Amino acid sequence: MNTFKALLQREYWEHRGAFLKTPLIMGSLMSIFLILFYLTVEQFDLRVGGGQYIELGSATMDDLDSSGIQSAIDIFMLFTGSIYHFVLFIILFFFMLGSLYDDRKDGSILFWKSLPVSDTQTVLSKFVTALVVVPVIFALGLMVSHLVFFLVTSLILLINGINPFTLLWSNINFINNWGAFLVGCLAQAAWALPIYGWLLFSSAYSKRRPFLMAVFLPLIVGFGWYFYNAIVNLEVLKVGVFKTIGIVMAKATTPFTSGMGFDLESVDFDPTKQTSGELIRSMLNGLTNPSIYYGLIFAAVTIALAIYVRRFRNTT
Amino acid sequence: MSHILTAQNVNKKYGKFQALKDVNINISKGKIVGLIGPNGAGKTTLLKSVLGLDSCEGELKVLGIDPFKRRADLMKEICFIADVAVLPKWIKVEQLLHFTEQSHPNFSISQAKHFLTKTKIKMDHKVKELSKGMTAQLHLAIVMSIDAKLLVLDEPTLGLDILFRKQFYDNLLNDYFDNERTIIITTHQVEEIEHILTDVVFIREGEIVLDANMDELTNSYFEVMVNQENYEQAMAHKPLTMRKVFGKYIMLFNSTSRDVIETLGEVQRPSVSDLFVALMQEEDQA
Repeated sequence: MNTFKALLQREYWEHRGAFLKTPLIMGSLMSIFLILFYLTVEQFDLRVGGGQYIELGSATMDDLDSSGIQSAIDIFMLFTGSIYHFVLFIILFFFMLGSLYDDRKDGSILFWKSLPVSDTQTVLSKFVTALVVVPVIFALGLMVSHLVFFLVTSLILLINGINPFTLLWSNINFINNWGAFLVGCLAQAAWALPIYGWLLFSSAYSKRRPFLMAVFLPLIVGFGWYFYNAIVNLEVLKVGVFKTIGIVMAKATTPFTSGMGFDLESVDFDPTKQTSGELIRSMLNGLTNPSIYYGLIFAAVTIALAIYVRRFRNTT
Repeated sequence: MSHILTAQNVNKKYGKFQALKDVNINISKGKIVGLIGPNGAGKTTLLKSVLGLDSCEGELKVLGIDPFKRRADLMKEICFIADVAVLPKWIKVEQLLHFTEQSHPNFSISQAKHFLTKTKIKMDHKVKELSKGMTAQLHLAIVMSIDAKLLVLDEPTLGLDILFRKQFYDNLLNDYFDNERTIIITTHQVEEIEHILTDVVFIREGEIVLDANMDELTNSYFEVMVNQENYEQAMAHKPLTMRKVFGKYIMLFNSTSRDVIETLGEVQRPSVSDLFVALMQEEDQA
């Protein structure tokens, strides 16, 4: 008997499509686009240049500087990683919004509550799923997708008489780039904690539409704060609450930028500007920021409230 | 103490609405109790409190445990079916059994699989592929494979056809119930469960109006077919209800002895539903 493991397994069973298929479908798209792109170029070359451009190109490949190839591969791996982070956040957002609401809506909550599982365990299982289980699945999905992509690239190189080992595989920095994605998942989880807590509370509390509550209540608070400062204190430019929400959202959706400070200009991720090693250091550095603790406290309070509400709310 | 459930002065308010008023009740081991009342009488509210799904005021103990404070502990010893349609739609039968096995110390998966072999349910079926009746069978199979001291059934056969309903109670009685277990059932189809009950509890507007075992009922309530000639005499004994069928009067009496009543006509045991209707009307007049 292992209740908590069974609870995590339960979440995986219910959301296998979103958790497992999403990263794999994204990976397949990567490789499919590569093949389509290659076929287009080849056709174009055959019609326009009689096949000589690819031949010429292949010949010059050998002379390419390996540091140039390395940084191109790094950019590709970090850029795709960043997209995976973004999609991961979107999936977790909707997963958590439904996690304590859907079973109330369809009535199955009364079955779950007929088993000797406490509400604390139930709520924490949703939280751990979002914090650990799904990011791990996405990380594995990204690794598989990268490997498949590189295998397809190798085939294309082989067809054109280029040795994929010297040109491609020896230039891939798996440890740093995958490491950056994993540290990114950690940074994402850390910065998104208050959002996750808020989503779980909205899901447990809401009677009709958890989405409306989760999205509009913070906005109303933001507007309230803005107009309070604008009218009472005549500070028209003070946007406090909105800025906090915006920055937390930015760091949660693109954790690669999470170490870059707190102004809204530094939230765009540009994989050409930093190496993966620098990125890892910057993200870890960001985690020492004291505002992480405020997020942690907010998350603890909202999750405790979600458990409290879950105890007596059995319907919608 | 052999009391499975004790309630003393249990009250529950929703805003201004008093859903339960000073409920006092004791249920001991080995009973099959029918909890019967009109819609909105507080049956579900009472059961929710008993199952730890909602809080209440007053002293309520199930197996010595405060249900709302320690629901997870209580659920190791009791189980319930709230409504047939509540199994999660997305889950596979196999996953459902696996999850229950992993989370419930008193669940026997081999027992559940044995029950399911008698039905058309396959292990790789999803719940949403099952008919309403099959879902009820699955739920009952799970519940009957849990070694529980108390089973609570809240309208378990709602929406099922008569074949499934009959089978449901047959299975419950033959394959599950023994003197070590206790069952509480609420249903609107009183006639169907009447013969299996040992006790009945009537609830009305949040109050318990009758709490008796079936033998007591048989000994104190009588239904008599009275001919026209005995009509005046019978009316003098103040029947609780009276209805006219084929020129005869069927009257319901509450009496301590059968002797006088027998002189009026043919005596029968009243059905629980007739008694229920009579007692509810009596309260109305009072």
